[in-house]
Amino acid sequence: MSAPLLSVTGAVKRFGGVQALRGVDFDLKAGEIHALLGENGAGKSTLMNLLSGVYTPDEGTIHIDGQQVAFNNPREAQAAGIATIFQELDLVPTLDVAANLFLGRELMRPGGFLDVPAMRSEARRRLEAIELAIDPASMVANLSIGQRQVVAIVKALSYASRVLIMDEPTAALTVGEVDRLFDIMRKLAASGVGIVYISHRLEEVPQIADRVTVMRDGRVAGVTEPHAPQAELVRLLVGRPLDELYPERSTKAGKTLLSLRDASFRLAHESAGWQPPSGVSLDVKAGEIVGLAGIMGAGRTELLSALYGTGLSGRWEGEVAMDGRPVRLDSIRAARAAGIAFVTDDRRGSGLMLRMAVGLNLVMSVIRRISPFGLISQRRQADAVKQSFGQFDIRPKNPDIAVGALSGGNQQKVVLAKEILGNPRLLLLDEPTRGVDVGAKGEIYARLRQLAAQGLGILVASSEMPELIGLCDRIVVLREGRNVAEFIGGVDEHTVLDAANGREA
Amino acid sequence: MSEQKISVTASPAVPAAAPRHRDPLALVVRFQSLIGLVVVAIGGIIFSPRRHGQILFLDPDNIANIVRAVSETGIIAIGMTFVIITAGIDLSVGAVLGLSSVVTASMMISGGFGLIPTILAVLIMGIVFGAIQGTISTRFRLEPFIVTLAGLQAARGLALVVSGNQYINISYGDGPGLAPPVFAILGERLFNNTVPVATIVFIVFAAIATIVLNTTRFGRYVFAVGGNERAARISGVPVSMVKISVYAITGFASAMAGIVHAGQFNFGSANDGMGYELTAIAAVVIGGTSLFGGAGSMVGTVAGTIMLGALANILQLNNITPAMQLLATAAIIVLAAVLQSLVRRREGLGR
Repeated sequence: MSAPLLSVTGAVKRFGGVQALRGVDFDLKAGEIHALLGENGAGKSTLMNLLSGVYTPDEGTIHIDGQQVAFNNPREAQAAGIATIFQELDLVPTLDVAANLFLGRELMRPGGFLDVPAMRSEARRRLEAIELAIDPASMVANLSIGQRQVVAIVKALSYASRVLIMDEPTAALTVGEVDRLFDIMRKLAASGVGIVYISHRLEEVPQIADRVTVMRDGRVAGVTEPHAPQAELVRLLVGRPLDELYPERSTKAGKTLLSLRDASFRLAHESAGWQPPSGVSLDVKAGEIVGLAGIMGAGRTELLSALYGTGLSGRWEGEVAMDGRPVRLDSIRAARAAGIAFVTDDRRGSGLMLRMAVGLNLVMSVIRRISPFGLISQRRQADAVKQSFGQFDIRPKNPDIAVGALSGGNQQKVVLAKEILGNPRLLLLDEPTRGVDVGAKGEIYARLRQLAAQGLGILVASSEMPELIGLCDRIVVLREGRNVAEFIGGVDEHTVLDAANGREA
Repeated sequence: MSEQKISVTASPAVPAAAPRHRDPLALVVRFQSLIGLVVVAIGGIIFSPRRHGQILFLDPDNIANIVRAVSETGIIAIGMTFVIITAGIDLSVGAVLGLSSVVTASMMISGGFGLIPTILAVLIMGIVFGAIQGTISTRFRLEPFIVTLAGLQAARGLALVVSGNQYINISYGDGPGLAPPVFAILGERLFNNTVPVATIVFIVFAAIATIVLNTTRFGRYVFAVGGNERAARISGVPVSMVKISVYAITGFASAMAGIVHAGQFNFGSANDGMGYELTAIAAVVIGGTSLFGGAGSMVGTVAGTIMLGALANILQLNNITPAMQLLATAAIIVLAAVLQSLVRRREGLGR
């Protein structure tokens, strides 16, 4: 048998006193899609950074085609044919798509002038190769997160690599876009490219991977085939069997909290193609978890933000009521006064003060409560922090660490705990587990269900259909800003997808 | 993980937070201005000229001179610390000082106002001036850099109008056209002729500001706005009010510095206070406050201010040219910034 395309043997990497990799073996065959799974902190990012030349291993070797290689920087890894798409996209938001795709290797005309038309048409060709209608002349800042991800992927593909490393490429994509991306990945693999595919979404593994390596605590916990039962993968990931990921549903819904009837709003910044909703009707009852499903652009995020009084132009129209009484949700102040709390889908951008301590972040939405007469009470502050740490297993258990140093899952717990401290009656959640590992997901779901059992109403938007189906009591499907269907939890995924895409069942 | 007692450190003076391990570099940065102050003081003692075996640098008159000379920029730097923690900047402070000195002098000399009404009026003017800048910046979503650059021009223009581009000399005495003699106390020293009154104003203001920043709801809001404005807004922090307030604080501080200036030098001049904004920003940055917002310390600012003054003093004592003084200050600013950047990278928090 010929040597694998890429192999890593006995890789060890230490950071100060922390051993991130403790002797990892990994190999990738040409034409293979190899899924790399692991919870945050398991070492998969470190391994990825070794392969892409960001770090050099303290011990161990890397071989390509049986030849030993050593990368001192990412450029050398690229020259060897390894391209990496990092989760934080390396795109310049203020440049257009074509300029981003050709950044650093622009097409030129004689005389040193940029050949913009050539770059645009080439960019269009490459974008259309993955069947996506993105205008190469549009500014990246005006694209949705999903569209940006696609541009980043196209950019990495254009390095004509032999090895493609993808760090959670589907995290922000809609189901349709994921399918298209998988098609491209299969095509690339068929042409001989080896793909390392890092993901948190276990359900995607059997769809796309040829082989699975699971990492835990800086070691390889196991190499398995992709059709292994999900419970087996979870056991490898967390090192113990995990109870059901989703908690049992409760059936006791209380009084109606939020009620929308033919409600509509305008956005302050309407992106091209966005249709203002012509009328949304939905209810959220106390003790109920209601999901918002829909393809990207269906208005899930917009609806949640509008309910929280942000991003609005003017007022809500139609009937908006809390507890059966009309309410004006035209500002954050009004929404909070009505007992509404909101957790954004972008915890780093708009959820947390990354450089500030965990404890200071936790009390952010209850500053008023912990500062009688305008003076911060250390005792009340410590009590609030203790309450949050009691509610969520935030690691490390130290409120003085900068929240930016925590893993994604723990950061998400901080954002949630922060809003829950404010004792809201209705919690709006946008993508509550994006970029969160399985263990933390399970904890977050369990906690949400507990809170619902105590009477909290939860309205949750997610692009992860299994999450909505597993977690929610009811699922409301949005299309073009309107509710077009409603299902009870546990419904078949395809039924929801058909409704979201406007296909009659 | 074992049961651990959960508490929050009592003082959120540097909410940039301790990193996981006690990183010695982080500790250096946390106390960089205090360490710098000690280093400069030791350097001052070593390199100080001596007369009759006495170290001139440590002479009580010399020390009093240092802390008096820095009190005006120090007062401004205290206000500036609030602004910079919100990730803002205020370039108008030096000009507002000039305007305030002019208004103080002309109200008492040509206007015939008493001491208290004059001081109150000037302080209110400073607050209003700052609040207007803050309001323009938040209402129209303009960069504070631009708004306060315009504010700088406006304040200088107003000062020229009020003064007619003349020095307004303050003479003391009773009756019209004369300032109350008690005003001259700002140029004097108390406690056996040791502690300059200007310095007392500076230190008292610094103490109050430290308490406001570290123990009040408002102080916490200031950190929150600079830490992540969007997150603060979503958490219900009245972001616009906080921003307007911090510019009102710098306006107030600049007006107070202007009054102190007029009292120390016995005149009002439209062109005084030039470049003070940059000295104040330098003191704040050396004090460990991040220009990116969200982290900072008032104690650091005070130490940074005094350190810059002590450095200038020791260079002067050794007859080193003002040109070299500027270069030395430049080196210290860069050093402080590099140290901070290193720590941020260690913490893995990017810039």
